Amino acid sequence: MTWKRTADVVVVGGGVQGCSIAYNLAKLGVKDIVVLEKGSICSGSTGRCGAGIRAQWGTEMNCRFGLASVEKFEQLHEELGMDCGLNQSGYLMVAYKESEFQQLQKSMKLQNSLGIDTRIVSYAEAREICPGLSAADAVGFTFHNRDGHADPFLTTFAYMEAAKRLGVTFHRFTEVTDVKTVGGKIAGVVTTKGDIDAPVVVDAAGGYSQFIAKMAGVDIPNFSERHEILITEPVEAGVCPPMLMSFSGNYYIQQRPHGSIIGGCSPEGHPQDYEMGTSWDFLEMMSRTFVKLLPRTKGVRVVRQWSGLYNITPDKQPVLCEADNVRGFFLSCGYSGHGFMFAPISGELLAQKILGQDPWIAIDQLHYSRFERGDLLIEPAVV
Amino acid sequence: MRQTEVLVIGGGPAGLSAALEAASLGCDVTLVDSDLALGGQLIKQTHKFFGSKEERAGTRGFKISEMLLEELHGYKDKIKVHTNCTATGYYKEDGVISCVIGEEKYFRIQAKKIVMATGAQERLLPFPKNHLPGVYGAGAVQTLMNVYGVAPGEKVIMVGAGNIGLIVSYQLMQAGVEIAGIVEAMDKIGGYWVHAAKIRRMGVPIYLRHTIKEAIGDQIVKGAVIQEINDKFQPTGTEIKIDADIICMAVGLTPTCEILWQAGCKMIYVPQLCGHVAQRDMNMRTSHPDIWVAGDAAGIEEASAAMVEGRIAGVGVAKSLGHGNASEQAKRLEDYKGRIADLRGGEVGQKICQGLKVCTVNQWEV
Repeated sequence: MTWKRTADVVVVGGGVQGCSIAYNLAKLGVKDIVVLEKGSICSGSTGRCGAGIRAQWGTEMNCRFGLASVEKFEQLHEELGMDCGLNQSGYLMVAYKESEFQQLQKSMKLQNSLGIDTRIVSYAEAREICPGLSAADAVGFTFHNRDGHADPFLTTFAYMEAAKRLGVTFHRFTEVTDVKTVGGKIAGVVTTKGDIDAPVVVDAAGGYSQFIAKMAGVDIPNFSERHEILITEPVEAGVCPPMLMSFSGNYYIQQRPHGSIIGGCSPEGHPQDYEMGTSWDFLEMMSRTFVKLLPRTKGVRVVRQWSGLYNITPDKQPVLCEADNVRGFFLSCGYSGHGFMFAPISGELLAQKILGQDPWIAIDQLHYSRFERGDLLIEPAVV
Repeated sequence: MRQTEVLVIGGGPAGLSAALEAASLGCDVTLVDSDLALGGQLIKQTHKFFGSKEERAGTRGFKISEMLLEELHGYKDKIKVHTNCTATGYYKEDGVISCVIGEEKYFRIQAKKIVMATGAQERLLPFPKNHLPGVYGAGAVQTLMNVYGVAPGEKVIMVGAGNIGLIVSYQLMQAGVEIAGIVEAMDKIGGYWVHAAKIRRMGVPIYLRHTIKEAIGDQIVKGAVIQEINDKFQPTGTEIKIDADIICMAVGLTPTCEILWQAGCKMIYVPQLCGHVAQRDMNMRTSHPDIWVAGDAAGIEEASAAMVEGRIAGVGVAKSLGHGNASEQAKRLEDYKGRIADLRGGEVGQKICQGLKVCTVNQWEV
């Protein structure tokens, strides 16, 4: 692919965030957009994620983002012209403690007030929603039927292909090694393939976004943790149609369309070494969780385990803004494990912001200055 | 968590030799093999080996396996064996290996030193309908016939005229199976002349400069269309339809090296050794200080070489653990290195030696 020395917008990161931002900018008429990816498209956190999509959140901001994203996902295949593997079988939240169930109900009230039809379901009903479920020890369940999951690869490729049709250029295996600024304004990027001058640079580098920000002279408190996940061989459909999720149970589990069951958890002490390795203690712990929660999985083989990076902020909500001290430098990072599900909406809102429009959901609260001010938007509903 | 001094993964010629050698110098060894019986590919090799007397020339492969197992019996206090036991992963942070016995029983094992003797995998060609029942690797056909006594079918198209393709074709004919033809993309036969001559004498056509285009059949293989190719491997347009119920692919092997990758061993692509292999020193130690490699996992070669490599790795492991005395170790290493150099003396050996040059270091920096 020919290398152009200039662009209107450079997006750093070829995950779902970068592809969504590039697509949304192109859709709004930006002509010369370049996406830079140090590996292959979808090779970072997006391609390694649990793929859940939910509106069941505990803060107003996340609820609005969640619902807007669910609505986007519902028509995404039409908009992008490609199937995204959406499975809208809901999220079944499982509480094992009274206090946890109270928190779920508190969140449910907030969700209901914002038009999200989350409801409490009985164990019997939970087993109708998820026939393979065994959770007699649970205190209560909430369910939102429009939640679910999609295919992160198909979704990202759909954004990429749609963006390409609108003229966006993608350079893979191209690593950004520096970000150039002049007089408090963005000037471009230096990469392993050459320089690109651009007045706008977007940091959508996922697990590595704090390094890109630092290159631009922007300090964000984001850090990256390794989270692990595994997938089983296929079993018959219908064992676990919804996404099962529990904060105290410490799991998220869902069944892929071909029958494999995928699940992850968040044990204490995730290494922050940027090595996407795997551990046997995760394999054993998660396998026990699978068998307890979905007895059908007893004796089923684990096909693969892997890990990816959660790019985490102090309040587990994203950084979505323009930098104060470097105009033209925009950030979309720190999704703390939820970058895939928010990508359809965050991409659109950031594109509006870049073009000087008012994002249709206000994102002022998601500026990284909140961390310095101590103005955190703590999200309770995170695994 | 189980513990062992030396874990040998793979109980074929290389792994058995490594285990025996390490045990003979005083190591406590655990040997795991995914198959039901030890011996690796030897147990299905009914042909006589070439080479010198030391390398058991004139002896049939399965007999060599029996000899190794007998030797193993003498070390039953030093070598613990798990068959039907697959090593499924290496966990880098603590060096733990996970294993599964059969389909059910899982355990973890931590070893001071590991010898990877995981052998090779068969290469398969992509072509339309290659998923149909009746499409086999040559190794699988040989296992069916020579280990289980089952004829795979009635009429076979063999793809590949290297030694494996030729030997398996001949063995199929001995078992009363018809060979409809041997298809070879190159312009000459890759295997030994003696094997090819036997087959030609029996009237089997060998289609040089041909490749398989597609399989024919809906539920099972009914035949194949083969096509002629030019010197740029492009189809010339000439096609032949052949009836058969088996398509057997003997298009080469590639080293099995997943665990070496997982362990972070430095890997190099070496075409002469048929794939990615671990960089190793003269005693078969990889860039990982606790991991050795031997046999086809270190590069595709004959079983005779695999056995000597296993011996070298066995001495290397024992040496690193402080077992055996230095003069004994040196004497054995000298002997084995002389023998393997002899084995690699011929024309085929030249190619191997070229490949080894690329991936062998004299000594790792301490």
